[in-house]
Amino acid sequence: MSVTSTLETPRSRKRIDGWRWAGRIFLFLMLLYTAVPMIWMLLTSIKSGFAAMQFPPQWWPAEPTLASYQKLLDPQNSVGQDFLRFFWNSLFVSVCTTVLAVVVAVPAAYAFSRFRFPGRRFLFFAVLLRNMFPAVIFLVPLFILMRLLGLVNTHGSLILTYLTFGLPLAIWLLKGFYDNIPVQLEQAARIDGATRFQAFFLIVMPLSVPGIIATAIYSFIGAWNEYIFAATFLTKNEQLTLPVGIQRFFSENTTDFPGLMAASFMMSVPVVVLFLILQKYFVRALTEGAVKH
Amino acid sequence: MTVHTGYAGSAQAVRNKPPGLFQQMWASRSDYLYVLPAIVVMLVVIAYPIYYTVDLSFFRTPPGLQLRDKVFIGVDNYTTILSSDVFWRVTLNTAIWTLASTVIAFILGFASALALHRDFGGRAILRAILIIPWVISAVAASYIWKWIYHSDFGIIGAVMVQLGIVARQPNFIDNVNTVLPSLIVVNIWREFPFAMIMVMAGLQTVPDQLLRAAKVDGASAWQRFWHVTFPHLRSVSTVTILLLSVANFNSFIVPWIMTGGGPSNASHIWITHIYELAFGRQRWGVAAAYSVLLFIILMMLGYFYVKALSGNEKQEQGA
Repeated sequence: MSVTSTLETPRSRKRIDGWRWAGRIFLFLMLLYTAVPMIWMLLTSIKSGFAAMQFPPQWWPAEPTLASYQKLLDPQNSVGQDFLRFFWNSLFVSVCTTVLAVVVAVPAAYAFSRFRFPGRRFLFFAVLLRNMFPAVIFLVPLFILMRLLGLVNTHGSLILTYLTFGLPLAIWLLKGFYDNIPVQLEQAARIDGATRFQAFFLIVMPLSVPGIIATAIYSFIGAWNEYIFAATFLTKNEQLTLPVGIQRFFSENTTDFPGLMAASFMMSVPVVVLFLILQKYFVRALTEGAVKH
Repeated sequence: MTVHTGYAGSAQAVRNKPPGLFQQMWASRSDYLYVLPAIVVMLVVIAYPIYYTVDLSFFRTPPGLQLRDKVFIGVDNYTTILSSDVFWRVTLNTAIWTLASTVIAFILGFASALALHRDFGGRAILRAILIIPWVISAVAASYIWKWIYHSDFGIIGAVMVQLGIVARQPNFIDNVNTVLPSLIVVNIWREFPFAMIMVMAGLQTVPDQLLRAAKVDGASAWQRFWHVTFPHLRSVSTVTILLLSVANFNSFIVPWIMTGGGPSNASHIWITHIYELAFGRQRWGVAAAYSVLLFIILMMLGYFYVKALSGNEKQEQGA
């Protein structure tokens, strides 16, 4: 045994090192690919408009300035007014969507995980299949539907749409969590005299908090980043959400790249911060559904 | 609500004769309450539009949304589409876009997941950085890359000029030949993290004992990967590739914001083309017919998707 291991070890370690180096070099290249665009966004956002438009480019800002950020965040300035309003609109729509998505998805996911009602499989695949249809297909009929419901030019139209389009994945994510909570826990509670609803609220809900957090982040990020419906359902400037608002802003100021980069950065901050703080739940939930299904 | 019918399956198994469908449905009526809110919302917002789109695809529609004046024209919209040159151009673009994005994003994500699987200093930070492009808004990503590709001040072109690869700033996205690959690079940038997360999760299901046993038996790193790790990743890979291809097929924001489909349709894919037909040129009927064709293609993809998922479930039940 000891003889073979002394013979084997040096050779196999050499081999592993080869793979390890290949892996490191690959990861370094991926880091460049991922990070360079983001770093360039940040560097551009702290340049003046003049400094951004140089050839060859100023690799490092010679006179860094926060002017773009000040402009966007200044409520006295018309650009700042718009930007802050877009920001607030995005926040409002995303929070409402998130709360509703959790309220609707929790019971549905629980049912899909626990009950064996006829049509359960069909319904579940219907839920998943929904994920496949692109938003554009729904635009015209939904626009007409929203007009019918009197929701055009209200944030309600967006909340309703995001809720629906976010639900399939939300249910899928949560189901993965419920599948992992042993049924015996509830059965024990039921034997002790709890009703099914009590068992659900007192035993299962607290255990599924990580799943609920993940679902909430997912819904929030989805709503925050959505563009197509917002671009179609809202026409009044004061109601726009950030992605559409920024597009309008840029189509009027086509050369203000520092401003655009600053706006892109600020739009990314909430979701990235949320993601970094809660990434444990987020990543786990997504994979829970995929791997265990 | 008062009757607790959960675990109906186990109760029914005791009986000799399986109850009829309606009996089963009645017995589990309270279960439906949990799903009801989700179903109602989805019926209103999903089923109705699908019906509406199919219906509209058989009509010639006036511009504006004064759809009362539509005229029934049978399958004319469909023949119009299939006989136009733009259709084939857009279909080819969509095929290239979907295939290239899916394959490359998956390979990059897969390799990143493998490379990140081993513990090393800074692994968590690196992983978080690699995932960020997937989290940020596609609109922000599009503008960032538009600036990177800028025909006068873009950083990639500037680097190429400085290194002497080209004499002048190349025009990446205003060029018929380079626009599609350039956009695919952006798309992959946004998507490979998703593949990475999925494969990372798959890697956690590979039993350590098996890997160690293989090592003891003298298997090389490559043999261990190919014979132990890879088979465990097969199902998660299938699901990931399917999800990626559906997402790519349905992409809109990146091509729309960056080029709007131009120059001369070189970066139009199905979805941007449908959007332009409907909201740019107000040809609602033709756009609806396009959407129906899209449905059909997606349903076929969906068939494989469901099959792959059911395959997973069977494997799990078997194990």
